[in-house]
Amino acid sequence: MPLPNRSTNYATSAAQSGHLRPATSPSSSRQGGRYTSLTQILDCPSSSATFECAVIFQAEILNRKFPLRGILATFLLLLTLLTATAATQTHRATLSEAILSDDATKQIELVNQLIEAGGDAFVVQALGAWRQGGVFLHETNETRTPFLLDAQTDGEGRAKGIRVADGAPLTDSSGKPLLFAATDLTAADTSSKLRKAIKTVLDLFAIANPDPKMRRDAVVKLGQDQNQEYLQHFEVRLKTETNVDVLKGLYEAMELTRIASDDASVRLAAIQKLSDLRSISSLNFLQELEKNARADTGKYGEETLKAAHSAVIQIQDYMKLGNLFGTAFRGLSLAAVLLVAALGLAITFGLMGVINMAHGEIIMVGAYMAYVTQNFFKSWFGASGIGFDSYFIAALVVSFFVASGVGLILERGVIRFLYKRPLESLLATWGVSLLLQQLFRHIFGAANVQVSSPSWLSGSLVVSDVLFAYNRIFVIGFAVLIVFGTYLLLTRTSLGLQIRAVMQNRAMASCVGVRTDRVNMLTFAFGSGLAGMAGACLSQIGNVGPSLGQNYIVDCFMIVVLGGVGNLVGTVSASIGVGVTDQILQPWLGAVMGKITVLAAIILFLQWRPAGLFVTRSRSLEG
Amino acid sequence: MKKLLMNCLAVALASLAVLQTSAAETVKVGILHSLSGTMAISETSLKDVLLFTFDEINKAGGVAGKMIEPVIVDPASNWPLFAEKAEELLVKDKVAVVFGCWTSVSRKSVLPVFERNNGLLFYPVQYEGEELSKNIFYTAEAVNQQAIPAVDYMLAEGKKKFYLLGSDYVYPRTTNKILKQYLKSKGIPDSDILEEYTPFGHTDYQTIVAKAKAFAAGGKATIISTLNGDTNVPFFKEFANAGLTSENCPVVSFSISEDEFRGLPAKQLVGHLGCWTYFMSIKSPENTKFVGDFMKWVKAPTLAGVDYKVSGVDSKGRVTCSPMNLSRMGVYLWKQAVEKAGSFQVDKVRTALIGQKFKGPAGLVTMQENHHLVNNAFIGETLANGQFKIIKTMNNVAGEPFSEKFLGKK
Repeated sequence: MPLPNRSTNYATSAAQSGHLRPATSPSSSRQGGRYTSLTQILDCPSSSATFECAVIFQAEILNRKFPLRGILATFLLLLTLLTATAATQTHRATLSEAILSDDATKQIELVNQLIEAGGDAFVVQALGAWRQGGVFLHETNETRTPFLLDAQTDGEGRAKGIRVADGAPLTDSSGKPLLFAATDLTAADTSSKLRKAIKTVLDLFAIANPDPKMRRDAVVKLGQDQNQEYLQHFEVRLKTETNVDVLKGLYEAMELTRIASDDASVRLAAIQKLSDLRSISSLNFLQELEKNARADTGKYGEETLKAAHSAVIQIQDYMKLGNLFGTAFRGLSLAAVLLVAALGLAITFGLMGVINMAHGEIIMVGAYMAYVTQNFFKSWFGASGIGFDSYFIAALVVSFFVASGVGLILERGVIRFLYKRPLESLLATWGVSLLLQQLFRHIFGAANVQVSSPSWLSGSLVVSDVLFAYNRIFVIGFAVLIVFGTYLLLTRTSLGLQIRAVMQNRAMASCVGVRTDRVNMLTFAFGSGLAGMAGACLSQIGNVGPSLGQNYIVDCFMIVVLGGVGNLVGTVSASIGVGVTDQILQPWLGAVMGKITVLAAIILFLQWRPAGLFVTRSRSLEG
Repeated sequence: MKKLLMNCLAVALASLAVLQTSAAETVKVGILHSLSGTMAISETSLKDVLLFTFDEINKAGGVAGKMIEPVIVDPASNWPLFAEKAEELLVKDKVAVVFGCWTSVSRKSVLPVFERNNGLLFYPVQYEGEELSKNIFYTAEAVNQQAIPAVDYMLAEGKKKFYLLGSDYVYPRTTNKILKQYLKSKGIPDSDILEEYTPFGHTDYQTIVAKAKAFAAGGKATIISTLNGDTNVPFFKEFANAGLTSENCPVVSFSISEDEFRGLPAKQLVGHLGCWTYFMSIKSPENTKFVGDFMKWVKAPTLAGVDYKVSGVDSKGRVTCSPMNLSRMGVYLWKQAVEKAGSFQVDKVRTALIGQKFKGPAGLVTMQENHHLVNNAFIGETLANGQFKIIKTMNNVAGEPFSEKFLGKK
């Protein structure tokens, strides 16, 4: 890529550095942006064009109204531009000096001077690179020149070296640009203190980052430093900020900074504000303040102590409330996971009475189908975008049909011979489960495969500081949907009627002309299909590997048995009961003890009521 | 065509060499790694790297002129079976040395067998310490070569709150016990240290992540994770969904090396940290050679010098990692010690091993009197391509199994 001449360079950087705001076009708000290529920054034809347009445009407006002043203004504007250019140059020189310096304190001092650069794109890039070991030193006999590598590499992975001091490429004596490979170079070293200083400077720059998430993160982090000097930077941003999240972060950061103020009235007001904001992130700081105030009432005063104390209580109460909702949601979501996994079994074991030890493996088949579908979509649509994101919907369908196919084969091949011998069906299906595991290990390898979540299932909804993860919301919705669907199928269709008839009394159903064999086959296939969809769902939450089924099979049987065999309502209530209990116990007892307690409780419950929560009169089980 | 000819020639020469050397003497060496069951994913790589190392050594003339003949047994991730197989190697096969074990429980199960039969075991995987057997050499990272440097690094980064999260077994529990003491000695109050364990195969990390989020809300928090194997997948998924990142709450994992990384969602792990005494990304001529040769070897795995057919080596997407490097270091140290002692006798080799030095891919290692290595420790940041970018190097950290010594208590 050809490098532009110097003057355009500087004009561009100056336009981005923000010194001209707000006189120029919106392009100036691109300051602090992340650039992938250095040459892109240096080139930036679009923004430099916009900048020139802005100058001409402004000159024209001014000329029309006040000709002479217009010229003067244009001149002034150009002057500012030149000073900005000079400033950029100084910043780069400062940075270069800092990198070359051997004195750690001086380095930090110099880096702190760079705060003035206000997000000059090149300085941001170079500082970031330095912090992560991307700045290298070019040493000749007399001089050492810090440089970074251009993002564009040639076929052998070598790239041009860009001098930190002026952004020009390093050249050999004949003027040809030198090429470097990252692997051959040693980075200019940094100490952890220095890296922290760089990070702070970058955070200060990042307050103006175009990405609101980055802005928020930066603001929150700076607020936690409680450095009174940052307040001015916050205030500047507050005037222009529009994003609600960032604004909230800014408010919190400012108040958090102010509670460390020496002025008691400022402090009190800030504590009150934080308490009103229910700011969870400042709880620790308020507690600290309370502790200090208690220890040294003379310095902080009685009122600060009182205010801090009540603020801490306010926020803690708020957190408790949030926790309550959080636990309820987490309980429901665990219940939904259990329900989705167990529903298929509730059909095959609950209704049909087949002790299907291969249920877990059918879930696994579904999960692997999600993986296969994902790979197909990846090769068609690439690894992102709407095309890829929709793979999951297709995966649910594919999983359902493939798993029900597997179920069909299993029923026709093994289970139908064993309807009258339940114990042998246990052994046979267990054998099938081992076979399936080994088969998938053979096809896909022993290691887990990676199923990436579509973007609409990643992240979470935050309502008053309570997290609702999208994938969890989806699973809850999905559970409701399939339970409802199954209910409709069983009670509103003729197939459902036949299923119920066969399950209640096979001989009688056969006598009245129901093709029991066919019904058995379809029921088992349907149950397996549900298990397959469960697998696709679980691929969004946990691992996909050959032993996936083993992790769920015990839980599935537990839910079905606890709910009462042959009863959908029982399965639903059992999963909700187990899910919520588990989530309530977990924070107290820890994950291990929580699980053990739930298991023990279930065993005791089954001692008391062996038939489970809801007892169904079903002849297939009495026989 | 020319290449084919060359290959034929090479094969002919190699077989000639085999004919010659099979007449030459061999020495039996045991490999005790699970090749089936849950640990197979991790341990198979160690078996591969051991065979690769034997091949290297045999090609260079063997150990004291004798060709290494591997005896591979499969304890199938079954802890009591480890003891049986160890007994079999020592008594029936009479191997000179055994390289093996991954989990601490398997090491504990074979320990009495090695002591009773006066065998020799090299153990290559990071562990909790508090153990020292005269029959075991621990090339593995001790707590003060992995956990302590990592915590030191986080303290230097200004972290003040530590969430110790682990799988529920001996390594995480012991490590965290030591870390808690260490953190306290560094002035971190009890209220700022959380400790939590989850069972193997745990998939529901909602509560833990919610807790971590509240814990990290005030900033300056970090998670020290000893979560094992695939429980990392649901954990990191949940972690990312909760809006936590390596920026606002970095996770330092002790159980994720390049090899484990292959089965994990790279996207969610980027930026989190690891601490080991070796990374595949280390730049040194020794490492370039090791990685290059190993990658070549897995495509056509053979074992020179003895009549042994290498099978079951996966050639796709291979990486090298710390346990693999340490396995290889063990073999070389043993070879040097045998040559110094001039004998394969365990007692003589043991004495000769102390003070052995070897310049490996991650720098010079030295075997100390306490059967642990002096090694360089590295902190690395995970990249999207499954590699670690080294952000800090600590030179010559002497392994010390007993926490009282480095905690300076009692």
